[in-house]
Amino acid sequence: MTGYELVRRPGRRSVAVSGVAGSFVVAASVAGGPVSAGVAVAGVACLLAGVWLGRIRIADGGALVGFAGVVGAALQGAGPIAVLFGTVAAVVAWDSGTNAVALAEQVGRGADTGRVEVLHALYGAGVGVTGGVLGFVLFRVGPTRQPVTTLFVLLLAAAILVVALNR
Amino acid sequence: MTDRSRADDRPGDSVTSGGTVPDDETAPDGGADVATTDGETAVGDDASEDVAGTPEPAVAGRSGPSGATVGDRDGTESVEPAETDAETEGTLTIRAVTTRRTGRWVGVAGLSFLTAGLGIVTSTRPLLLAAVVGVLYLAYANVTSAPTPSLSAARRVSDSTPDPGDEVEVTVSVTNTGDSSLPDLRVVEQVPDALSVERGPARAATALRPGATMTFSYTVTARRGEFDFDGLTLVVRNASGSEEKEFDLSMAPTTLTCVPPVAATDAVPLHALTSHYTGRVATDTAGEGVEFASVREYQHGDPLSRIDWNRYASSGTLATMEFREERMATVVLLVDLRKGAYVQSGEGGRNAVERSVDASHRLFNSLLDTGDRVGIAALSKDDIWLPPGAGPTHQAEARHLLATHPALSPTPPDERVYVRPALRMLVGRLPDDAQVLFCSPMVDDAAAYVARRLHVRGHPVTVVSPDATRRDTIGRTLASVERSNRLSELRAAGIRVIDWSEDESLFEALEAARRRWSR
Repeated sequence: MTGYELVRRPGRRSVAVSGVAGSFVVAASVAGGPVSAGVAVAGVACLLAGVWLGRIRIADGGALVGFAGVVGAALQGAGPIAVLFGTVAAVVAWDSGTNAVALAEQVGRGADTGRVEVLHALYGAGVGVTGGVLGFVLFRVGPTRQPVTTLFVLLLAAAILVVALNR
Repeated sequence: MTDRSRADDRPGDSVTSGGTVPDDETAPDGGADVATTDGETAVGDDASEDVAGTPEPAVAGRSGPSGATVGDRDGTESVEPAETDAETEGTLTIRAVTTRRTGRWVGVAGLSFLTAGLGIVTSTRPLLLAAVVGVLYLAYANVTSAPTPSLSAARRVSDSTPDPGDEVEVTVSVTNTGDSSLPDLRVVEQVPDALSVERGPARAATALRPGATMTFSYTVTARRGEFDFDGLTLVVRNASGSEEKEFDLSMAPTTLTCVPPVAATDAVPLHALTSHYTGRVATDTAGEGVEFASVREYQHGDPLSRIDWNRYASSGTLATMEFREERMATVVLLVDLRKGAYVQSGEGGRNAVERSVDASHRLFNSLLDTGDRVGIAALSKDDIWLPPGAGPTHQAEARHLLATHPALSPTPPDERVYVRPALRMLVGRLPDDAQVLFCSPMVDDAAAYVARRLHVRGHPVTVVSPDATRRDTIGRTLASVERSNRLSELRAAGIRVIDWSEDESLFEALEAARRRWSR
């Protein structure tokens, strides 16, 4: 009996969603120079390969390297907008990619998952943009004279609060 | 193949077209209420009122999975008898709920602090900003949990009584009846094991806003049997995907009944054990018939038509010809349904039980056609016994039994069958003059034992053995040789064996056997 075979890997469109976000990562890391851009390109390529193959670990690693490109750009003096933009794009690319892998694992390549994937990416991007804008406003109007350690402690406190609220 | 439409695209109840509200519906408690909320069910809502919007925490769903029928218990199955297609929608009952955190955002949390740390060490403020984004993502992942959906579902098959090999389209629609939207809903159809999906995944994923319906359809190839489509697996995630809930749901079954058309084969060669009724099995008794038996001296009163006029012409003495008397046989078809009989040669073929059941069906009809009395029995966990009989009612009964009895389904049973008690029971039931047609792949000695025991008990056995062996590996060759030895031993014991190989039809196998036996 021939029958239908379930392919548990994401389809082209899932890779495209990740690819669009990934291209923003590369665009943002160009601000830091050719080295960081190169790292970002390699990372995004690895991420997309991982998504296409349905291998979460490869996708994770790719996203990490892509983000390293953004961090590199920041260390080489890229502006806050580029760094924020790159960070959000990296998270969205990783989030939509790994979500597509998990989705394909459950429902297969043949199912039409475009709607739920795009929605997932948009939710993620929305949160990222909100965070970016918040951060940027803090950067502009916030107390610039404070030592960075204070900011770090504040961040840590916020994170602990978030986790504690949910427990 | 996913087609989604929002509820407002289809006015009214999007899953129940007006005509499918069953007339024969026994009015459950509060019939008027049911008429408007037909098939509407709250999943995981212990309050069990049909306004089940409020998502409950995961624990609530977990606390009541043991038969916590939600909604009205009477179910609202609606099958349209006028047409062949059937639509079922019903109470969704939770069989099991699993809630798990996917943990996919943990890495992001770690990474954002690493970034912040790097920002401090290198005094790079943009990196600290990036960490702010990370913390926000952490909040996004942590503060929401997977919603408990409130859903109704309907299933529709394009043809509820297909012929074997027909393609049947199954359409499943799931409606969000709650008032919160589901950002990530994955539905996996629980297709009956024996059916294979031909086209389209029997799964779908989408986001559903309140009142919206998702529909997906797939095609299965029908095969002999009765199949219940009664389950759905649902996976609901929150928007960030940090938590997912998996529901194993059962609903009123949609039944697919696939009864093969009446098929027969050529006349079946039988042993000369017969009843005293006139039939078609030639016996050794001389009398009325068509096959010449002997010539005897003329006795007064012999009919003129039986006088051997040739002899009279040559020698002048009167002699009477005698023919072999033809009698009716009583046959019981015994099908081997033990777990070991579900053997199959290679991938994709039919297993030996399927071939046996198919053969039984054909043998049954041709034996009935030739005027014999036929019954059905099986070596199985379930008690299958159709006493020998004749007539159209008996034929219809047997056809239904062979097509839809769950023990005859193409998937192997879990329990083992104890041969000796089954055999004792069978022998007790067999009429004295019954002979047995035993359909078994003969893959073990127990089957040969059954054949031999029945034979020595005075029920002549003819074994119809679908060959499922191959000779491509050493082990398989060994099994194949063992089987042919077993068959040879049976033949030596006076049992007739029809070795039915995969690439020949039953008709060819019977012909070959007949030629061998008449020699």
